Amino acid sequence: MKNSGKTGFLQKSWFSRKKTSFVKNSYIVKELVKRNIKVQYRNSAIGVLWTILNPLLNMLVMFIVFSSMFGKNDPYYALYLLCGTITFALMRNATTQSMTSIVNNRGLLTKNKISQYVFPVAHNISAVINFAFSLVALLAVMLFVAIKNYPTGFSIFSPNILLVFVMLPALFLFSYGLSLVLATVYVFFRDIQHFYNVFLTLWTYLTPMFYKPEDFFANAEAGDVSAKLISWIININPMYHFVDYFRDVVYFCASGGIGLPGFGDVLVLYGWGLGAFLVGTLVFSLTRPKFIYNI
Amino acid sequence: MEIKEQNQIIEKKQIDRQDSNDEYVIKLEDVCMDFYTRDEKVDNLKEFLVRFFRGKLEKKRFRILEDVSFDVKKGESIALIGHNGAGKSTLLKIIAGIYKPTKGSVLVNGTVAPLLNLGAGFDYEATGKENVYLNGAILGYSKKELEKKYKEIVDFAELHEYMHIPLKNYSSGMVARLGFAIAIDVKPDILLVDEILSVGDENFRRKCASKINELKEQGVSFVIVSHNMAQVKNLCEKAIWIENSKVMDYGEVNDIVKKYTEYCNSLKH
Repeated sequence: MKNSGKTGFLQKSWFSRKKTSFVKNSYIVKELVKRNIKVQYRNSAIGVLWTILNPLLNMLVMFIVFSSMFGKNDPYYALYLLCGTITFALMRNATTQSMTSIVNNRGLLTKNKISQYVFPVAHNISAVINFAFSLVALLAVMLFVAIKNYPTGFSIFSPNILLVFVMLPALFLFSYGLSLVLATVYVFFRDIQHFYNVFLTLWTYLTPMFYKPEDFFANAEAGDVSAKLISWIININPMYHFVDYFRDVVYFCASGGIGLPGFGDVLVLYGWGLGAFLVGTLVFSLTRPKFIYNI
Repeated sequence: MEIKEQNQIIEKKQIDRQDSNDEYVIKLEDVCMDFYTRDEKVDNLKEFLVRFFRGKLEKKRFRILEDVSFDVKKGESIALIGHNGAGKSTLLKIIAGIYKPTKGSVLVNGTVAPLLNLGAGFDYEATGKENVYLNGAILGYSKKELEKKYKEIVDFAELHEYMHIPLKNYSSGMVARLGFAIAIDVKPDILLVDEILSVGDENFRRKCASKINELKEQGVSFVIVSHNMAQVKNLCEKAIWIENSKVMDYGEVNDIVKKYTEYCNSLKH
């Protein structure tokens, strides 16, 4: 009968206990997500519209800077940029916000008995919702590019685009797992925030978002040593696979249909996603009883 | 014949034990709580490495609570009294399940609502209404319950015309009132209250007192931390006096309060 710390559930079964706490936690997550989305652009004149405008403007800046370098022969270069940046932005937003979420919510965690998981989960869901908003921006750019390249341009509106929803769960698992690791480390070492910020800059450049990795792959085939090294780095970078998959389904349909991503590509994505998810969950669940004494 | 008798005795003992477990809503046995702190909190890598190589990373152990045992029966209320830093709030957090005790056992039978800090979950950029829903979710209400209770909460807080403006524009008294109104609307078996019964103006305080009495009549058990002795006597049957992490005395409320007051007076002179 001794049940240290457990409250009120002595008579209930394990299953109904899990169910109650799941229902409770999912409602908390829902409210947190609502707050995250609203707080982002509170007091700005156009509010939530920024979630669509933001990726568009970012893409425009990159287009102005890089189109003459990497997009010379590519009429769909704007699309190439946008696919990469919004995919990467999902991961970046989710992880940077989740990293500090446990410590920033210390007021809640030390005064209420709530699950520590709700904060990283809420930030990851918010990032997915923001991603969904940027898909509206993507559609706008697709329309623009299609009109510009009339009549062949309209081939980009193919049902293949729906394959993005095959990638999305894997990307969610990946950034969620990474978020859990970062949030855990941040509780014990605040320095990780600065390391991670620098690392993210590096990561942004190592992920082919504005340049074309195919150039490196071609040079590596030809026997160039440094190109081989760069190709290797690009290939072990999980974000490359996510970005590449998304671009394959949206972009390559347009440029002649080089081929849809195959089952092997999907396996790679889910390998990274599940791997990160498992490691993150393990690290987080083992250390979370100690969080409260360190936040 | 002898064996039969023994069996009967054992059975009777078991029945007694079951009875006693049903009767208690809270039962603490020899609860100890340690905190480990380094001299200064080392939370960056440089500091950690510097200290690590100098061999200065030993942690200091602080015993916040030592061998605390008490029980609260159904419908009974108990007050935790003592000086600041004695360990009262830590004890509440142990009962709430936020901290796990280092040693000893905690048995809690029933739903617990911790009112440890009003508005701990408030987001000051969000409006009053948004905060009611967010804070309510954290306290364990479902959406349906909250929709039903929303009006009640606003009525109690008397903040009708302020619900659609951000909390940062509230006065501190208004924030406390909203926090109290959300928290008190819960119907738990045990309510843990940490020095929050003196929020708002005189009028609101009276309202809180009558609400608390109403809950008490409904059979809710209270564990309160308070420095207001009149309130303690009014609300609780028992009291625990904690001083320097140890239980100094435990028993009937008037007794303990008297001893504690005498002790305080003796310190002054």
